[in-house]
Formats: sequence, structure tokens, C-alpha cells
Amino acid sequence: MPEHAHPEMLHDAPHYVAARVQEALAEDERTNELGIRVDVHGDQVYLRGSVGSAERRRHLTEVAVEAAPGATVHNECTVVNVRAVEAEEDERL
Amino acid sequence: MSPVRIAAVGDVHLGVDVRGWYRPRLDGIEERADVLLLAGDLTRHGTIEEGRVVVEEFRDLPIPVVAVLGNHDYHSDAQGEIASMLRDAGISVLVNDSVVVKCNGVRLGIVGGKGFGGGFAGKCASEFGEREIKHFVGHTKRIAGEWREALRNVVADRRIVLSHYSPVKDTLLGEPPEIYPFLGSYLLAEAVDAVGADLIVHGHAHAGVEKGLTPGGVRVRNVALPVLQRAYAVYRLSEEAEAEEAPRRAMADAMG
Repeated sequence: MPEHAHPEMLHDAPHYVAARVQEALAEDERTNELGIRVDVHGDQVYLRGSVGSAERRRHLTEVAVEAAPGATVHNECTVVNVRAVEAEEDERL
Repeated sequence: MSPVRIAAVGDVHLGVDVRGWYRPRLDGIEERADVLLLAGDLTRHGTIEEGRVVVEEFRDLPIPVVAVLGNHDYHSDAQGEIASMLRDAGISVLVNDSVVVKCNGVRLGIVGGKGFGGGFAGKCASEFGEREIKHFVGHTKRIAGEWREALRNVVADRRIVLSHYSPVKDTLLGEPPEIYPFLGSYLLAEAVDAVGADLIVHGHAHAGVEKGLTPGGVRVRNVALPVLQRAYAVYRLSEEAEAEEAPRRAMADAMG
């Protein structure tokens, strides 16, 4: 929830809830994730995108739940799978 | 001229929670590449502590490492210290300037910096109105101008541009169009097209795609880690491309 706003002064239309969750994910020190897509349908919050570790993925849920009290958060984000580079995989330009 | 193999990755977003995670993936990089480019967002919050992790992961590699910082690396206002720490560890950090690296006898000129946003031609912010908007657009214009000069002045056989923000829309495909102005600016591509380069490498757009092209025909590669899903990409500049590059450079020089 934005620090400047009192809870009673916030409108809970899905549009604003999505904005609040996205803002929290970007600005909260636990996440600082800018590339997470947030969709809100009624009281259901969906998070989509990718992060670097399982722990970072857990923090997304934590921060989203705090930013949208009473909503159900579905964390559909993936953990980036970084594989080793194979020989002869270079692109010729 | 010998081929040059360029390894590149961006948006590794290292932190103390993933210390030691990336380094093993760089094993044997010298067999696959002649230089490694880091396209910004090396940290999550831009703290000194995270900067230390970046240094540990990328120091003392058997090939030269050239980096730019990204917006995350600026978050704690410690970008200057992070850049110094990287430089102390032998990693070049570009801030709208250039470095020349010798690879197989080829002088590879790498020009660039963080870059910035503003949007793409026809759908972008202008340097007009409130001071805040003018600062935003002016920041990108100043950067683009410095890249143009650096590209013009660098003495090298091949030229690469390294950025965090994107110079084109092509590599943003998959990102919401509404946020394009925060992902890059056409001014960066225009500066490069004015002088010519062999390749532009950038990061920042996690949901984008790897490959694109500037309006002037310079290849663009988005090497954000979530896009690559491999430790780094390798691009090989072969001899043939030189024949196409020479006339463009001559034309740019003639046009001043």
C-alpha cells in the first residue's frame, strides 16, 4: 500500500488494486521487480513474469498480499532457468 | 580481419542471496568468446554490498569484461562507487564514452552507457512544457549526443554499442506497449545510425525478444537474462560484414 495514502482513502476498483500491487512490487525493498504483470479480476490478483530465484518468487507473493489485503494472490511467475552455454552456439553476424 | 566473438548478458540482478550462483556458468568462456559485455542491471537495489557480489562473480576472467550500469544499479545513488569497484577489479565501465579492446589483432571499439527512455519516433515525449518533462527528454538527448561523438572519435576496426535501455521497438515485442517510453528511446538508435556500428547490445526488457534492427540497418540484440535463458549469448562478427560497414562509415563521414 502506498505510504502516502490512508487505507480509507483508497478505492478498491481492480484498476487501482493492480496499480497498488505493481507499485509495491517495484518499490518494496524485498522485491524491486519492475517487470511483473499484475492483473486483477474481482478479488483475485494474478502475477505473471519471471524472477531470479525461488526466494525472490516467494517475496512477490508476500508483498502482493500486503498491498492487496483481502484479495487472493495467484503467483504465476516463473524462476528464470539459466542454462550453460553450449559450444558452437554463437550467432554469425 | 579475424572474426571477433562477443559474449553478452544483461539484467543478471545479482544480490547476496545468489552469491556464487553465476560464476560457474562462466567457466570456459574464453573458448567461446573474446570479450564479455555486461548490459546493466547487474544488481537489484544498487547497493555497495550487491556491487561486491558483482565484482566477485565477474572479476579475473580470462577475457576482457566491459560493462554499463542499469537503472537498478542507480537505485541507491551508489552508481559511482559501484563503477569504481568494478574498475578496480579490472572491469571497464562505460559512462557515455568508449574503450578499445584488442581481440585477435582486431581493435574492437565499445561505446555506450546506461542510455535512457522517452519512447519511439512518432509516439514519444518531447522536450517541451514542464521542467520535469524537459529534464527527462533532455537526459536522453544528451546521452545520444555523447554516444554519437564517442562513436565518431573512437579509433577501432569494429564498433559495438553497449546500452542498458533499448534503442529500438523490435526487441521490446512482448512488453506492454504502454511502457515502451520507459524501456528505451529512438534517439539512441538515431545517434548510432548517424555514424554506423557493427552491433548494438542492450538489456532492460525482460519480456522482450532477442533480435532486432535499427532503421539504419544496425543489428540490435536484447541480452536480458530472462530473454536469453542462458548464461550469455555469443555473437561472431565475421569478415564479410566489414564490406557492408565500410561504405556506411564513409557516407557518415562525408555527411559530417
